[in-house]
Amino acid sequence: MARLSVLPFLALLIVWEAVARSGLFTAFVLPSASTVLLRIWADGATGELFIHLGVTLYRALVGFLIAAALGILLGLIITRVALVRWFFEPIISIGFPMPKIVFLPIVTLWLGFDDTLKITMVVVDAAFPVVTATIAGVAGVEKELTWSARSLGANERQMVREVLFPAALPQIMTGLQVALPVALIVCVVAEMLTGGKGLGGAMLGASRVADSPGIFAGIVEIAVAGYVLVQGMSAIRSKVLAWHPEALPPATV
Amino acid sequence: MIEVEGLSHTYRTPDGRAVSALDNISLTVAEREFVALLGPSGCGKSTLLYLLGGFLPIERGVIRFNSTPITGPGPDRGIVFQHFALFPWKTVRGNVLYGLEKMGLPRADREARAREFIEMVGLSAFADSYPSQLSGGMKQRAAIARTLAVDPGTLLMDEPFGALDAQTRTQMQTELLRIWRRSPKAVVFVTHDVQEAVYLAERIIVMSARPGRIKAIVDAKFDREDPQLVRTQAFRDRVDEVWALVHDNTAEAR
Ligand SMILES: Nc1ncnc2c1ncn2[C@@H]1O[C@H](COP(=O)(O)OP(=O)(O)OP(=O)(O)O)[C@@H](O)[C@H]1O
Ligand SMILES: [Mg+2]
Repeated sequence: MARLSVLPFLALLIVWEAVARSGLFTAFVLPSASTVLLRIWADGATGELFIHLGVTLYRALVGFLIAAALGILLGLIITRVALVRWFFEPIISIGFPMPKIVFLPIVTLWLGFDDTLKITMVVVDAAFPVVTATIAGVAGVEKELTWSARSLGANERQMVREVLFPAALPQIMTGLQVALPVALIVCVVAEMLTGGKGLGGAMLGASRVADSPGIFAGIVEIAVAGYVLVQGMSAIRSKVLAWHPEALPPATV
Repeated sequence: MIEVEGLSHTYRTPDGRAVSALDNISLTVAEREFVALLGPSGCGKSTLLYLLGGFLPIERGVIRFNSTPITGPGPDRGIVFQHFALFPWKTVRGNVLYGLEKMGLPRADREARAREFIEMVGLSAFADSYPSQLSGGMKQRAAIARTLAVDPGTLLMDEPFGALDAQTRTQMQTELLRIWRRSPKAVVFVTHDVQEAVYLAERIIVMSARPGRIKAIVDAKFDREDPQLVRTQAFRDRVDEVWALVHDNTAEAR
């Protein structure tokens, strides 16, 4: 696992603190690092921080898990069933590069502003990298591997579950590693656009009352949450792919 | 009994080129016969084995298996692939157990049988290793154990001893003959080694270079129990004869 050096962050905090105290900017434009960290501490003490963090993580992770399950399933079916492939391939080609957040206004009308909205937005966005990774992974499976399974007595369903899926797993894991930060991004953006609970909603609230330390606090909290999620995912990868000759997981910066 | 009649196979490359790999192959392999397939690289030996295994669609000709045309792969025909095709996410034991699970054997029997065959190929110390942790020859032996463990009625082997050193190879040849005698089965055995072909097989099919055709079929019925066999004149003459046929092929291919 890539070890993160803390020194650059310390340097950044010192420069930030120095610039903020130099009088170059007002405390409103750039609150000092210490102000922001104290604010995070205070929000933690009142429990406010954990409510927002919990809500955001809940939406992002539930959305991510649904996207993972749907994406893997759809990806496997697409590789096996020509009709499904015929239908979904063009949709994926257009949908993947498209910013799915454009659906937010209409999905809001359908589902309201609550968890369902945010989770749905997360699922729609995070499923794409999983589907494409699954399709690519299965396409790269050596045909002799599937032949081995068939001649040892596996039927079509067992072959998909017991051979294609594990053989494609390294690529699928890479897809999941892409999808997880996407889930967090989409969740925070949706929260910022609709308000309410969650880290994004809290930042929108802080912005409305011109509470710039609150906004900066949100930025730092989201950065830390993203880092922890990505590291956790990379640890899961090493566990799941213990058999794989790869020495290192793919670069997650 | 396997009957192949007028079998041809053409590969199509992604850029649309047609590569004729097999041309009008006809042969039969009797119930308990051990047949070797010999020929220059690229003459279609693996392709013929894939077709016998039911992995590739049959385009021209027929393959009958006990009088019924084959339509796909099945556990009645076990195959050892040239490039092993072990499941990399399973240990050696897991690989060997896979086919036994599909047979529906009780757990204790599966474990015992897996242990027996892993021991037979000399991998007991590596039963819990993953394929990526094994040498080429060890992977090959694991693949052989996986296929032999399910005791298929027909055995298709694609250069199964190709990655082994001379000593291990001799051991494995002896084991294979022992298994074949204990549980008689049809064997189609691809090799590049003329001596190995004459030693193991009752009949040797020599193929010509691309597109693969049958060039000659040579009988090689010897008493394999005789420890002096490979030193007898009759054996050495047969090796020379087959070697000349194969060598002639290679010259043609240039
Ligand atoms: N998937 C494929 N697409 C196109 N051509 C192929 C494909 N597989 C094999 N061929 C061609 O078919 C011919 C026969 O290949 P095959 O692998 O059966 O030969 P072989 O006798 O097993 O050779 P070797 O002894 O080197 O293993 C070769 O000329 C090869 O180039
Ligand atoms: Mg070959």
